[in-house]
Amino acid sequence: MLDERPSMPVTVGPSTSGPLHNFVQKLGEPRVLGWIAVAFVLIMWEVIVVAAHLNPIYLPSPSQILVALVAMFKTGGLLGDLLATLGRIFGGFAIALVAGTLLGIWMATSQRVSAIADNFIAALYPLPKVTLIPLLIIWLGTGGPFMLTISALGAIFPIVINTVLGIRQCDPGLVLAARDLEASNRQVIRMVLLPSAIPSIFAGVRLGIGVSIILVVAAEMVVGKVGLGARLYLAGQILETEQVFAVLIVLAILGVAVTKAQDLIDDWLSQWRLS
Amino acid sequence: MGMGVAIECDDVSLTYSAKSGAPVEALQRVSFRIHPRRVTAVIGPSGCGKSTLLQIVRGLLSPSAGRIRFIDAQSGGAAATKPRMATVWQNFNLFPWRTVVENVGFGLEVSGMQRSERVERSRRSLTQVDLAGFENKYPRQLSGGMRQRVGLARALVMEPEVLLLDEPFGALDAQTRLILQEQLARLVEKSGTTAVLVTHSIEEAILLADTILVMTARPGRIAAEIRVELPRPRSMTTTHLSGYSSLFDQIYGLLRDEVVKAMTIETESA
Repeated sequence: MLDERPSMPVTVGPSTSGPLHNFVQKLGEPRVLGWIAVAFVLIMWEVIVVAAHLNPIYLPSPSQILVALVAMFKTGGLLGDLLATLGRIFGGFAIALVAGTLLGIWMATSQRVSAIADNFIAALYPLPKVTLIPLLIIWLGTGGPFMLTISALGAIFPIVINTVLGIRQCDPGLVLAARDLEASNRQVIRMVLLPSAIPSIFAGVRLGIGVSIILVVAAEMVVGKVGLGARLYLAGQILETEQVFAVLIVLAILGVAVTKAQDLIDDWLSQWRLS
Repeated sequence: MGMGVAIECDDVSLTYSAKSGAPVEALQRVSFRIHPRRVTAVIGPSGCGKSTLLQIVRGLLSPSAGRIRFIDAQSGGAAATKPRMATVWQNFNLFPWRTVVENVGFGLEVSGMQRSERVERSRRSLTQVDLAGFENKYPRQLSGGMRQRVGLARALVMEPEVLLLDEPFGALDAQTRLILQEQLARLVEKSGTTAVLVTHSIEEAILLADTILVMTARPGRIAAEIRVELPRPRSMTTTHLSGYSSLFDQIYGLLRDEVVKAMTIETESA
């Protein structure tokens, strides 16, 4: 097939539209490139570990880690640890969400409650919550109540603060409109203030759940008998480095899953945007 | 049904404290009567307290002095019950997280009505303002004119005896405003509902109202009460009538000095 238009530049050399070219072009796409980089690092890691005869105590190869991960799930009870950790994170987080939202509403609608709570929040919010672990162990022991408390403590402050912020930012015109339609104070809170604050509350949830994850895993490392943090610490103690990596992978996947879930909720929240 | 309820505004004053702490007198001894089945327009320069006055009439704000009375037009005594009222707002004040039909049904939901009946009535109300088919859209998906028709439907679905209109077309472009003004004129003429219209458009006041209250610059007082005797139904062609231009000139004459005064107040406080 000849190009009849002489003004068209004619490319000489290898075909530019063949399957090989398409393949190379696909490799250059940013998403694909990202995964290729991951694969490249994993392969280089494997090759270097095998070629240099590295002691797996220092750096196990990816294939060894994978074997350890599968074994831990099959016979090592890692699933139970995962579920225990998830239960602690989300159990505490659920407590924080309910208590934090209620306290936030109360603070936003009553200047007195706000004045009373403000100083305590100002003192406790910036405090690194891990520093509360020894005190909480003295008070609550190391069982379920302790784990739920530490998890809830991590999440509650950003949730309270963002609930107050969200409600205070509510368009006063919407409250007027609701009252014009005969809404009672409780209905104004439930049908106007709370829904209008949901995007802000969710911003608090985003911050809070990250802190909950950190605190639960840290607490498990200190005192846990089950849970991902406990497994991580134990594996480190007995120099089972493959298992250390395996737990880290599970934690990383947990983090990715939480982030993805938050993105989905963000999409749903877009209906709050006015324009 | 009796002759309806008149609303009497009796020596109403409102003073509030500005951010600096200094007292600001927004309304000064305002008295007038809103007659049942009539449209009363309140016109005045911006900042004269006319929207505030509307909220006092609605009971959303308490006056510093004076009171609002509801009078049975037949007996002349105090009415047994407050008339049902609903407001249409300048900024629409639609709930952005609710669909159109959920916005319209808000007041019915507040009153505890079952969902199926709520939706049914909201749909009917939306048909009334030519918005059938937009039930499941969100306010952000609608134009300004459509949003205000949702606002109107949300008020009408409550079957108000008194419709309060707070600069309902102030946020709309000029063409949309003309069309909605005519639609509203037809709606109030047909339903015979009592309406109070706050506006700064002389044209809008004449087109819609039976009585026009002209307010002064802050502190707001009633400068004049003007009857509009132009024939109904009114539309844009009403503006060609000879009575229209003399009425327009009369109101403009009253307003002009007040608007200049209001601008001076704004400059001083800025």
